[in-house]
Amino acid sequence: MKQSNAPVPLKPKDYKSAIKPIWCPGCGDFAVLNAITKALAWLQLPLENVALISGIGCSSRIAAYTGVYGFHGVHGRALPLAAGLKAAREDLTVLVAGGDGDGLSIGGNHFIHACRRNMNMTYIIMDNEVYGMTKGQASPTTAPDWAGSKLTPGGTMIRSFKPAALALASGASFIAKAFTGDPNELARILVAAIEHKGFSFVHALSPCPTFRPEQMDWKHHVHAFEAETTSDPVLAIQRLQADDGMGMGIVYQKDLPVFQPGGTSPGTEVAFFENEFAL
Amino acid sequence: MSIIEKIADLDTFLAYSIALEEEAAERHDELADMLDVHNNPDVAATFRKLAHYSRLHAQEIRDLAQDRKLPVIAPWDFGWESAEGPETGDIGDVSYLMNTAHALQLAMGNEQRAHDFYARISRESRVPEITVMAAEFAAEEKEHLDLLQAWINKTSASIDEAVFDPDPPHMPE
Repeated sequence: MKQSNAPVPLKPKDYKSAIKPIWCPGCGDFAVLNAITKALAWLQLPLENVALISGIGCSSRIAAYTGVYGFHGVHGRALPLAAGLKAAREDLTVLVAGGDGDGLSIGGNHFIHACRRNMNMTYIIMDNEVYGMTKGQASPTTAPDWAGSKLTPGGTMIRSFKPAALALASGASFIAKAFTGDPNELARILVAAIEHKGFSFVHALSPCPTFRPEQMDWKHHVHAFEAETTSDPVLAIQRLQADDGMGMGIVYQKDLPVFQPGGTSPGTEVAFFENEFAL
Repeated sequence: MSIIEKIADLDTFLAYSIALEEEAAERHDELADMLDVHNNPDVAATFRKLAHYSRLHAQEIRDLAQDRKLPVIAPWDFGWESAEGPETGDIGDVSYLMNTAHALQLAMGNEQRAHDFYARISRESRVPEITVMAAEFAAEEKEHLDLLQAWINKTSASIDEAVFDPDPPHMPE
């Protein structure tokens, strides 16, 4: 039989680990995992050249479910971990993922500084507008009148963050909104985000069937942004402010200076790093 | 461009068909894993069997295509008329409390959409070899529907069965 020496292309499932996700059946986070693996397979990135860093929460478990390098970090601290990794290993494709609470409350300060620092990495917030792992409390993206938690029986009465607008105001150079009910479109956006040079932010609406079952209806409300991607922040903010929160697509993309400190080559010995930390 | 216009030749049709079946198999595996993790072994086993059948069908189509060079299509460029392939069940349609009858009902919906997809291609394509093959695939999907119906008739579970969980995950502590 004739044998080919051509490498067998990696398929999306090749990027998954053998660990079965423990998310609730129906959770939107499954679709984020699928979209990430589809995007990586489309780009044919070798597994050893990709790292996925996460924080704490249901969605942050995602690092364990892929076969790329992963670091399931400290609550809210996925972005500084990723920044450190990218600073040391510029050659790696660095993905960061987590939830709305992890990224916008506990890690909120890291988020705005990651946006303005513009290191070359992709950050995905899997937003279900609730703290699911701790059994359903209001998060920074929860609507003020959501009264589903005993902690906030009349709602928080605090206006929610608009993550994409926050990213724009903080200086992110790529901002997209996506919905887990359309995982192929999410994969397309992730490919564009990974290929973008700089900090790319993808705000993915990811319904929580357990604590926010009403979100399963989002699929009837999402719509594509009518206008094309802009590099004009004024147009971008106008579009985001005018949107009902359900607009999807790449809102803003601009070439801005990428921050990349010194760095080391992939073959750097551990002794080099030990010396760096020597007292 | 409509999906009929996109499927302009037999190679493209085969690429679509393989993607449709492979994605269905992977989704069934994914649903089986979800139910495994949530200690619902009967439904997990049902989804696992359905994944096996989808994989067999995908392999049959791959065998038909083995001497052909099929186009490589990005997942987002298929332009399916639903968010995913017609035979791919929606992740949002499953619950840890579902029973075998619910799972089979979901599978019926998936197979029906796959049948309708092939039947439409068969009716509307202007490429004779596509219309013939699509009609064959539609007939196979119809057989699957009949088999599923027989499976539903045999199962003791009912879609009307209410399952009670005394300690649901959303119970505040």
